[in-house]
Amino acid sequence: MRGTGLMRVDAVVIGSGAGGGVAAAVLAEAGKHVLVLERGRDLTFEEIGRDHLRNHRLTRYPHRSGPDYEDGPRVVVDATGGEKVVRPHEPGFHGNATLVGGGTRLYGAQAWRFLPADFTMASTYGVPAGSSLADWPIGYDDLEPYYERAEWEIGVCGDHAAGSRHWRRARPYPMSPLPEGLQAAALRRGAAALGWDVLPVPLLINSVPYGGRAACTRCQHCVGFACPADAKNGSHNTVLSRALATGRARLLPEAVAERLECDPSGRVTGVRWVDRSGARHVAEAEVVICAAGAIETARLLQNSPTRREPHGLGNNHDQVGRHLQGHAYAWALGEMDEPVHDGLGPGVSLATLDFVHYNDGVIGGAMLADEFTVLPLAFWARNLPPGLPRWGARNKQYMRDNYRRVMRVGGPVQEIPNPEARTRLDPQVRDRWGIPVARLSGATHPESLRTGDFIAGRAREWLLASGARRAWAARAPLTLHAGQHQSGTCRMGDDERTSVVDRWGRVHGHDNLYVADASVHVTNGGVNPVLTVMALAFRTAERLCADW
Amino acid sequence: MTPGQAATLGAVVDTIVPADDYPSGTEAGVLDYLAGQFGRDLADLRAYYGAGLDAVEAEARERHGAGFPELPPGRREELLRALESGDTRVPWPFDAAAFVETVVGHVMEGFYGDPGNGGNHDAVSWRMIGFEVGD
Ligand SMILES: Cc1cc2nc3c(=O)[nH]c(=O)nc-3n(C[C@H](O)[C@H](O)[C@H](O)COP(=O)(O)OP(=O)(O)OC[C@H]3O[C@@H](n4cnc5c(N)ncnc54)[C@H](O)[C@@H]3O)c2cc1C
Ligand code: SF4
Repeated sequence: MRGTGLMRVDAVVIGSGAGGGVAAAVLAEAGKHVLVLERGRDLTFEEIGRDHLRNHRLTRYPHRSGPDYEDGPRVVVDATGGEKVVRPHEPGFHGNATLVGGGTRLYGAQAWRFLPADFTMASTYGVPAGSSLADWPIGYDDLEPYYERAEWEIGVCGDHAAGSRHWRRARPYPMSPLPEGLQAAALRRGAAALGWDVLPVPLLINSVPYGGRAACTRCQHCVGFACPADAKNGSHNTVLSRALATGRARLLPEAVAERLECDPSGRVTGVRWVDRSGARHVAEAEVVICAAGAIETARLLQNSPTRREPHGLGNNHDQVGRHLQGHAYAWALGEMDEPVHDGLGPGVSLATLDFVHYNDGVIGGAMLADEFTVLPLAFWARNLPPGLPRWGARNKQYMRDNYRRVMRVGGPVQEIPNPEARTRLDPQVRDRWGIPVARLSGATHPESLRTGDFIAGRAREWLLASGARRAWAARAPLTLHAGQHQSGTCRMGDDERTSVVDRWGRVHGHDNLYVADASVHVTNGGVNPVLTVMALAFRTAERLCADW
Repeated sequence: MTPGQAATLGAVVDTIVPADDYPSGTEAGVLDYLAGQFGRDLADLRAYYGAGLDAVEAEARERHGAGFPELPPGRREELLRALESGDTRVPWPFDAAAFVETVVGHVMEGFYGDPGNGGNHDAVSWRMIGFEVGD
């Protein structure tokens, strides 16, 4: 790097999370020189810590695992047009983990393939008024080999036979599931009584030593924290390590991509980025791959206007940042007669896919599973029955008698996207580097809530059949759900008037600009999204290298 | 915080998490947690806490002719529940119910949060509910 900070590489990958890590590995292994710019810090397990008040599962105070409190806010516009400046750890920010590894450093690691019908929502259900429900330009079969690659190269444990009932698949999971605990035993009983099909939750976790790393020791702090045994598989300890091992990849933490640079013909020439001290640099590249997460990738494209595209790259049809979606969770809680919390992580264990699709009278549905080990403070904040005093002797007694008895069952409800749920640039507010921040507005489509009610009803039914003496649920509000599962802002499609990238992840009109993160999801599935992000990144990067 | 406010705070904490076979909030270290937080994340709320505790004290004197810490536990609970439902007898500089809700949240953080944050000494609340952490 010279004094002005100019450097030249084959490819710049922006973001080191689920999609960016995969892209970096595929490119570096294909012989390309790759620079990975990561906005967050490179934190150790100890630095991330086990802070129950500052984590991505229950945030009461600024995160320890990014985004940093001082990085800058977002602006959130509510249904009545009221706007609010929201800091990274506050409700409404819709953040994901911001550190090396992105969401995969702290995630719960549920490793679901989307179901075939998740790719064909519009032709399966029709398009509700006001929504932008659409089919993907590719189907399950296009992605199947890449799901397999993600499962083997990143490492998933699961039950092959049970999985084969839901997905056409060529190869088993590389590892068998983790042992089942008390929650699973109770839910198996309930599912048998109801005649529902169940399967162990597939996890990007080593149930046995794999990839040169140890097996899970079943601690109680899986979701929202880093893994003490390095048994949870994410970008940081698999694909990014592989990329770096080639000697052709370089990872720069605390390096914020500010703007994509273009020549007058529309060819992307590089990336301008800001280092820790605030100094600007430019990395020149043949190819640029955006993998900054759905909100930040859209922001980056919008922050890169040119004469030809005054509203940002790929945005001449006002599509960048629209169809912002995530998952509204529908759930129920049940109070069991016997303890079901056995103190063994990760906690989440048994699922049913019976209600992801083809439910009477609603669009889509959701996978249902039990919950990760619940932190005591989170239990107090979220799991208590309605009507119980929030404090005092009765509250303390309830906590004591029921922390180990109350079980949560829920799932990510397939959202019905709409174009008014979106992220734009705020005209006034800037972050600590002086870059315009994201301005979020809109809400999920009301149909998603109807589906959510249906799913919460099934969750309740399952708990009662499993022996709960009572069960309760609450409605999800009509709002944006674009936090950890954020997606959809650069949707994939063949028509550049209604999409941002083509079926290979390439931004329409830009031969050398790609998006390889959850932004490209047309719809976000009735299951957790990360394995799909990884599979798509493998597909996009492999094709890019084949043509290059 | 004045000695009077500190005494009221201790009594409020032990009303929110009273002693039974397990320690009360103050016995479990909630005041240590709060002291740490007032130098940190809750620094901006010190004046809010001071004014709120004064108002709680004034409510106790107005209703019972005695300071909040001197009231029997049942009366203290009754008073905080009244404030929580919006029933105030003296002027408040801000919403009394919101004050109680805020304090309850912080007390629970100190009681059920991880010991690394200064409260929940020896993970006593975790042992009470059965959240036992291995390595
Ligand atoms: C606590 C938690 C639990 C989760 N559990 C699950 C689960 O069980 N199963 C599941 O499927 N999903 C889960 N997720 C969600 C999952 O992590 C995301 O779906 C996934 O990480 C999205 O991948 P991505 O590549 O789109 O973005 P990310 O993984 O978020 O990666 C984006 C990266 O880009 C970086 N970045 C942003 N802006 C810039 C910039 N301007 N310059 C440089 N770098 C930038 C970010 O810091 C980040 O590292 C969970 C997430 C969290 C936080
Ligand atoms: S439960 Fe297992 S995989 Fe999860 S953080 Fe603990 S040891 Fe790691």
